[in-house]
Amino acid sequence: MADKSLPQLLASYRERKHLLALLKEIQEVYGYLPGEFIPEIARSLGLPVAEVYGVGTFYSFLSARLQGRNVIRVCKSAPCWLKNCELIVETLKRELGIGPGETTRDGRFSLQLTNCIGACDQAPAMMINDTTYVDLTPEKIPEILGGYK
Amino acid sequence: MITVQLNGSEVQGRPGMTILELAQENGIDIPTLCYRSELNPIGACRICSVEVEGARTLVASCHTPIAPGMAIHTHSPKVLQARKSIVELLLASHPDACLVCDKANLCELRKLAADLGVGLPRFRIRKRYYPLEDVSPYIVRDLTKCILCQRCVRACREIKKQDVFAIAYRGFDSKVVVDQDQPLDKEVCRDCDVCISFCPVGALTKREEALVPKKGIPLIMKG
Repeated sequence: MADKSLPQLLASYRERKHLLALLKEIQEVYGYLPGEFIPEIARSLGLPVAEVYGVGTFYSFLSARLQGRNVIRVCKSAPCWLKNCELIVETLKRELGIGPGETTRDGRFSLQLTNCIGACDQAPAMMINDTTYVDLTPEKIPEILGGYK
Repeated sequence: MITVQLNGSEVQGRPGMTILELAQENGIDIPTLCYRSELNPIGACRICSVEVEGARTLVASCHTPIAPGMAIHTHSPKVLQARKSIVELLLASHPDACLVCDKANLCELRKLAADLGVGLPRFRIRKRYYPLEDVSPYIVRDLTKCILCQRCVRACREIKKQDVFAIAYRGFDSKVVVDQDQPLDKEVCRDCDVCISFCPVGALTKREEALVPKKGIPLIMKG
């Protein structure tokens, strides 16, 4: 599945300022950020291990565990929260049988809570993979989920 | 030289100087928490916030350079209210264990709370509890008391050039971590107490410190 190995990836990102781009590409290639890569990334970029770990855990789009085929990210920032995103999370929990941070047994969906995705004007919002869904209501959820295999 | 208005009177400062440095030179006491003159200012705690006329928000004086014609108020009602709220927020997630805390009257957070007259916080109390880290033979870390000022992170990095610590996670879950969130147990920490001496609260302590008399000025309690 991985079309680029870690040494190849490390070779194309040589500077401290490339850290986030490197982490993003590892996430795309491997589907997650394996913990055993972090010391190697740190050595390659000349950064402390703690700092690479700090950046890796800060962003909700970088994950420490392998994700399902489709990743649902529900916005939990203030505007979505005011528009009752908790109801959306509850609906998703009921539909999928999993809580935030978990993956369904068949590997079809992972459920994540994320920080602002820039759709505050159409809150509550969520993303599935790269598609944004806005103005969510509990009734819309089953239909949206049905579109993903 | 740059001329600015400081609390209504005209004072002169050098270019590149911060508002905090200017105030200190002119005998005005702005409280600080994450600021230390030995370290790069990061403006994390906002305790040193001051009001600058025309600015959209309060600015952190520790890292804001002075500019010609600035009108600065260091103790306006708005500023004092903001400082009180910040201390209240810090206390809302800080354990109420002051009576048995080894930092006792040397705690900078407690001193600030006393100076600003902050008692029980108005906010819904939410604590973060972490297990005590006493693996290292040199340093005991109690991250439940940590206020995330990052003084240990910066002292280790800037003074000792060691980079043992970094901040990980996000928001309320933010935490000072060692490597990949492992308990601190590093040999480089053997003869170095730098981070301990920089910790404003009781989060970092020396192992043998219990029952040793404290040095330093006693805390004057109000009321």
